[in-house]
Amino acid sequence: MSIEELCKAVERGDQEESKQIARQLIDGGVNPLNIISSLTEVMESIGDKFSRLEIFLPEMMMSGDAMAGVVQMMAPQIKAGEAGSTKGKVILGTVKGDLHEIGKNIVKLLLESNFFEVKDIGVDSDPVKFVKEAEAMGADIIGASSLMTTTMPHQKEIIDILKDQGLRDKYKVVIGGAPTSQEWADEIGADLYCPDAGSAPKLMAELLKIKVR
Amino acid sequence: MRVNTRFQNTPGINLLTDDQCEEIYLAALEVLERVGVMVYNEEALTLLKEAGARVKRNHVILPSYLVKKALSTAPSRIAIGNRNGERAMFLEKGRVYFGSGSDTQYTMDIGTGERRLVVKQDVVNAARVIDALKNIDFAMSLGIISDVPPRSAYIHQFEALLLNTAKPIVYTAGGREDVETILAMAEVAAGSKEKLEDNPFLICYAEPTSPLVHPREAVEKLLFCSQRRMPVMYVPALMLGATGPVTMAGALVVTNAETLTGLVIHQLKNPGAPFIAGGAAPALDMGTSLCSYGSPEEHLSCAFNAAMARFYNLPSFSTAGCSDSHLFDQQAGMEAGYSILMQALAGGNLIHDLGYLGAGMTSSLEMLLLGDEMAGIARHILKGLEISKETLAMEVIEKAGPGGTFLGENHTLKYFKSAVYYPGLLNRFDYVRWKKEGAESFYDRATRKVREILKSHPPSELPSKAAQEIEAITAKIDNTR
Ligand code: B12
Repeated sequence: MSIEELCKAVERGDQEESKQIARQLIDGGVNPLNIISSLTEVMESIGDKFSRLEIFLPEMMMSGDAMAGVVQMMAPQIKAGEAGSTKGKVILGTVKGDLHEIGKNIVKLLLESNFFEVKDIGVDSDPVKFVKEAEAMGADIIGASSLMTTTMPHQKEIIDILKDQGLRDKYKVVIGGAPTSQEWADEIGADLYCPDAGSAPKLMAELLKIKVR
Repeated sequence: MRVNTRFQNTPGINLLTDDQCEEIYLAALEVLERVGVMVYNEEALTLLKEAGARVKRNHVILPSYLVKKALSTAPSRIAIGNRNGERAMFLEKGRVYFGSGSDTQYTMDIGTGERRLVVKQDVVNAARVIDALKNIDFAMSLGIISDVPPRSAYIHQFEALLLNTAKPIVYTAGGREDVETILAMAEVAAGSKEKLEDNPFLICYAEPTSPLVHPREAVEKLLFCSQRRMPVMYVPALMLGATGPVTMAGALVVTNAETLTGLVIHQLKNPGAPFIAGGAAPALDMGTSLCSYGSPEEHLSCAFNAAMARFYNLPSFSTAGCSDSHLFDQQAGMEAGYSILMQALAGGNLIHDLGYLGAGMTSSLEMLLLGDEMAGIARHILKGLEISKETLAMEVIEKAGPGGTFLGENHTLKYFKSAVYYPGLLNRFDYVRWKKEGAESFYDRATRKVREILKSHPPSELPSKAAQEIEAITAKIDNTR
């Protein structure tokens, strides 16, 4: 069994086989961090294929699940604090008054399968809740989805509350949802706008690198 | 126009047999009894519990006898009036009516095609154009107004429609408070509460959240309209493979379970109050993640649900005339064209979303005109074949004889206008004449016609006292929110 075979199983979205191969690899003494870094590449290429319409959402989701299974299984082997375990922590939710959740759910899945740690606070979430949850989690990013022009102002409120509480520099605020736009992000002072879920992991990783530097 | 009943046989499609309808219905009942639904509204939960449903916090198990009872009390016909107090639409088996769509963020600027945010004047313009169009029977706002306080946008939209068209209105609203305000405005227009109740000219739009969730605001709207005996529709929009099964039969089971739950709540509150069913199950494109308004699944699901509503003996709401294209282009024409004819044949009562581009993000008055033309063609097709002494035309056949001509005959003169459809927007010039007349594209003609209507169609205004009173209601809402 090789890492290549594991990567293929994850690409196929075969959860059971992925776990089996990963177990054998670890028992054979392969460093879990090597496995993770290969899988990261696989997920990136899967994301690219999705962007190019070569594969479809359910297929990508299966791969994501397969990979999540492997990561979960290896968790005891990866010592806390070791590099590569997470790219960043994200609070993700749909804003107050808004019940649209499919877009947010897709973003969550893509982030998780790209090694972000995501806490989903659900739909109809008060701006205060976004901030509280971010504080509790020690998040790097607050991601807010809005699907209606009537609820978009709540994305701004999150930023206002952060400013009021002197927390604005502590978090990156990322927005999305069909009616939002780069102009809206600029207007409310969000750090990032993602037009779709496919671009989110890459753009958000870049955003955090800027922060670290 | 009635599908399937006029003359000996008018064209129509029924995509489901009675047995198939029953299978979907029975499966929906099983879902209600086995899986149950979530209801986030205290009053509805109390009503359901008292009626015999098993309620655990927000989870409701609905026994099928409650559904049966609700189906027996709901009216099978609803008459909708217009602002002038006349009867305008009879939501009865097989009668089809066309209308625009509602809440788009953007509109395509007339003539330039540029996509920009909707302002109040756009809804005013839409209302005036709708008022002028022969085949558009009811009005929806064709935009979310961006230049008013966001929380009173629905009120401004309704006001813009109410003050600029006499046609029936289907309105969207945030919750109970909005509906209350809107009904108050409608009462002013009608002249009195009684006049409005005798001939309601407006229908509230509410929707569950698939799968099987009934949010607070949506149920509030249902209950309030039921109490006031004002028409309300409860129409699911399930996305295949995302908020429901990807297979159509399963999707229909879920949407029907949702509609029937809404119906039970609505009829428990006030038996006999007017309720409209329907709903759609569009595809979530698994490649691009777009919820598709032009997909065949969207339109099949509407046609299926129109058949289900007939099976239940309930009026229904469906969708056509909309496109995923961001331009007024061939795709837009194709998706609007096939869907309008299909829904007309399928016989859902209220066919909405004419004028939608960009998968529900953009409205376009040119697109609305395209829809109007297509609706005219659909209506012509629905006439089917009328066989009578006059239409068989034996006398004139004999008179003209072999090799003769019919052009100068009285029979031709008498019937040429009703027997043949005359388009308002389609090119029927030959090449040379078309060149000479300016070589216009369909888009050019649609733009020109929109501008003409806005310039010359006399607006259907209310008496100024009533209009002022209505504007005052809007102003009050702006100030209190
Ligand atoms: C399905 C749907 C619903 C479903 C939602 C089901 C659910 N569980 O989510 C139901 C039926 C419940 C619903 C209800 C309503 N809806 Co609706 N709905 C839609 C519809 C058709 C599709 C939305 C969708 O899921 N698309 C698919 C997903 C995958 O796309 P997405 O959400 O845009 O997400 C992608 C990106 O935007 C991005 N993204 C999204 N969020 C985020 C967040 C972050 C951080 C990042 C990085 C990226 C990101 O990634 C995603 C994947 O690429 C849209 C039309 C449209 N064209 O969007 C209308 C639409 C959004 N709804 C609309 C309206 C008006 C309503 C109602 C008010 C209707 C009413 N009057 O009753 C209610 C409101 C309920 C409420 N309080 O929220 C309007 C909004 C108009 C506006 N601009 O304000 C739209 C545009 C339709 C229309 N023209 O009328 N709706």
